[in-house]
Amino acid sequence: MATSIPVVRFDETSKHFGEVVALDKLTLEVGEGEIVGLLGPNGAGKTTTLRTLLGLMKPTSGRAEIFGLDAWSDPIAAHRQLAYIPGEFHVWPQLTGGQILDLLGAVSGGYDAAYRDELVERFNFDPSKKGRSYSKGNRQKIAIIAALMTRAPLLVMDEPSSGLDPLMEATFQDCLRAAKARGQTILLSSHILSEVEAVCDRVAVLRQGVLVEHGTLADLRHLHAHTVEATYVGQPPILDDVAGIEDVYVQDGVIRLQVTGSTDPLLKALAEAEVPSLQMREPSLEELFHAFYDESEDVPAGTAG
Amino acid sequence: MAITLHRRQPERPLAVTDADQPLVIEARSPAAVWWRTYVHNLRLLRNGAVAWIVGLAGISWGVAVTFEDRYATPEELAAFAEFEGVPAFEALLGRLVGLTTLEGGVLSRWGIFGVLAAIWGMLAAVRLLRRAEEAGHLEPLRAGAVSARGLLSSALAAMATVFALFAVAIGATHTAAGMDAATSWALGGAAALVAATFAAAGALASQLTPSHRRATGLVGIFLGLALAVRIVAAASATPEWVWWATPLGWLGFLHELDQARTAVFLAYLGLLAVLVAVTYLLADRDLHAGRLAAGTDVVTGARRPVTGQLDLAIRLTAGPARTWGLVAGLVALGFGLLARDFSVAVADLETMAELTAMLGYPAMDTPEGALGFAFSWVGIVLAVFAAGQVVAVRDEEATWRIEHLLVRPLGRIRWLVTRIVVAAAAIVLAALVAGVLGWLGTALVGAPVAFTDGLLAGINMIPIAWLALGVGVAVVGLAPRLTAPVTYALVVGAYLLDFVGGMLELPEAVLDLSPFRHLAAVPAADVNVGAALVMVAVGLAGVVVGAAAFRRRDLKEA
Repeated sequence: MATSIPVVRFDETSKHFGEVVALDKLTLEVGEGEIVGLLGPNGAGKTTTLRTLLGLMKPTSGRAEIFGLDAWSDPIAAHRQLAYIPGEFHVWPQLTGGQILDLLGAVSGGYDAAYRDELVERFNFDPSKKGRSYSKGNRQKIAIIAALMTRAPLLVMDEPSSGLDPLMEATFQDCLRAAKARGQTILLSSHILSEVEAVCDRVAVLRQGVLVEHGTLADLRHLHAHTVEATYVGQPPILDDVAGIEDVYVQDGVIRLQVTGSTDPLLKALAEAEVPSLQMREPSLEELFHAFYDESEDVPAGTAG
Repeated sequence: MAITLHRRQPERPLAVTDADQPLVIEARSPAAVWWRTYVHNLRLLRNGAVAWIVGLAGISWGVAVTFEDRYATPEELAAFAEFEGVPAFEALLGRLVGLTTLEGGVLSRWGIFGVLAAIWGMLAAVRLLRRAEEAGHLEPLRAGAVSARGLLSSALAAMATVFALFAVAIGATHTAAGMDAATSWALGGAAALVAATFAAAGALASQLTPSHRRATGLVGIFLGLALAVRIVAAASATPEWVWWATPLGWLGFLHELDQARTAVFLAYLGLLAVLVAVTYLLADRDLHAGRLAAGTDVVTGARRPVTGQLDLAIRLTAGPARTWGLVAGLVALGFGLLARDFSVAVADLETMAELTAMLGYPAMDTPEGALGFAFSWVGIVLAVFAAGQVVAVRDEEATWRIEHLLVRPLGRIRWLVTRIVVAAAAIVLAALVAGVLGWLGTALVGAPVAFTDGLLAGINMIPIAWLALGVGVAVVGLAPRLTAPVTYALVVGAYLLDFVGGMLELPEAVLDLSPFRHLAAVPAADVNVGAALVMVAVGLAGVVVGAAAFRRRDLKEA
């Protein structure tokens, strides 16, 4: 295993814009066939991360590699093995959609023409119109088709499905699953949590240019608070000394709280009372992200109530 | 890896709960909204306006303060005054009146400065009224409490404001320079009205087509026609009233000898009113639409596929190359047609020797000399085309379209060099077309220069355009966000340095900085091979420096 080269490798990669630290010593690897989601609030540094990986921006320090090739100094060789979907696709207004696909296919060095036609059909894309007349969603389809039709071993995506309607979003997720089944590696930045949940093996969360969370979804779920909802009859259970619980609400026969870590102390405490129903669930991805993105820790709490 | 845990926060109320807020937070009056958009437009115009006002008013002021030193003796003044009524000079410079007076000397420069003011006006208007719309900047404004016409009128008012400042700058500086106050202020007013008239034409073109390039092209054609009519008006056989058929001709009647200032102002104000009224009527249209049928955006039938980035570069260059090649060709044809008239008139001048010395052009009494004198105009056209290509290259980066190509296995240097080589080739083609048409012009009026001489006159202009291209590439690499202002300023500045530098009594060493000064008057003189080689070498160095810097820097959005 020691000799296998990661498909994507960030090694203490930093990017500063003047005084602003957009990316701070990012270290992250993506192995072959992995699907990694890059998450974070707006302005967290996701696009800077991807543009550094693509050699469009030079890291202030550290390096980014694709299949062991330096992203900045060796972009041509690196780009032979990847395809990229930007979040916003600026078109040449005078070229038709079909011509743009031809062009990008030619520049990519090769593509699967049959697969392109299939994608054009599946995305219900009309390639005969001039670039200027496409809507945002249709422009995004050009980017998606142009990237997927190359069948590159690495797919890099920056909010790839922005502007797609729900039907097209489902089609796009099908394509991601197909790419995953073929063994393509994907690094995906997205705000669409269902997309991330559906395809990603791992997620990395950036905040203010720093990698704050990293792991499989199951790990992240496990490490975070579970929501407990129960009802009681008669005397409420005494929860004052229970370790690992917070946001406790006990009133009128209803208990709601969050528990982190072992549930054993909580269950023992609840057993002291009459508890006819108990529900415990993992945090939803959305709740996880509320936790990740929430910067209120840095702000003195004083708004409760 | 350290895992940070974040405590779930209870639902926090918003700082301002909205239940008790009125529906309209601050009921701004329509006038206040309009004022805000006016200020916004003024801000967009500010930097360009400062550069144009300081540049044009400053150079003209320089002409005024150095006039008496320049023409210190009666002989020198008399030689200068012989320009009056000579068709080819008036074709170049506009109508010439009262050249023995300071006022006449300064006004004689405004045939060209007026064209520059017109270009400023048209570019400013298209930028404010069409480019901003194309880029999506107008959409949020139009979603506000302001109508399409309100937005238009605020932009027009902002332009009127900067043009009024332009008038004041000229009037005040020229009066201070010792020019007759009435003439100074008349010049200021008329110069502002030229800029305003072409801005109004730009505003009208912006209502007609959905693309800023096409709008610029339309108003550019209008400017070209206005200039063509002025050139025709200069010919000896043309009746006097033809000067009045073009807004660029009216500027020639500002001298007090003509007693025509009221007519000049009425003419500008009348045309301006018509243009503004039509623009206002047409402004009530769909967002992103034009009033002219734009053709369909759906392409039926097979289209030739774009086979790669070289093909893309050719397609992106072809349109502007056709337009600018046509302009260079028409300029060459026009001067070819005038060459005989010009050489005969010069041969009749008593001060032929002084004139030749003053202008530094040889054999001006021959068609070859006339063509050599005129072809520097072809040079500026080609250099402006080159600057435009550099700006177009930067535009691919600024709009981030370049990303689609550079994330694929295509190196930055190869992409950049391909674009530049295609532009350089387009310059060669345009120069050859200009050469052939220059020859054709002389042949049509029965005073033909040799075909190879015509061709050579065109070829002689290639190095200076390549120089502009190369220096522009260096700017793209080193200071990408300044590409358009710096590149255009270098080209126009170099031309003006040559054109008015002599009059400003600048030291020779400074004047020699302008490459236009080193263009030989081919075909009357031999190609200045040394200068040509230096220009090509500096251009190449610019490409090398620019490409190396472009390879080493981050891509930068607009």
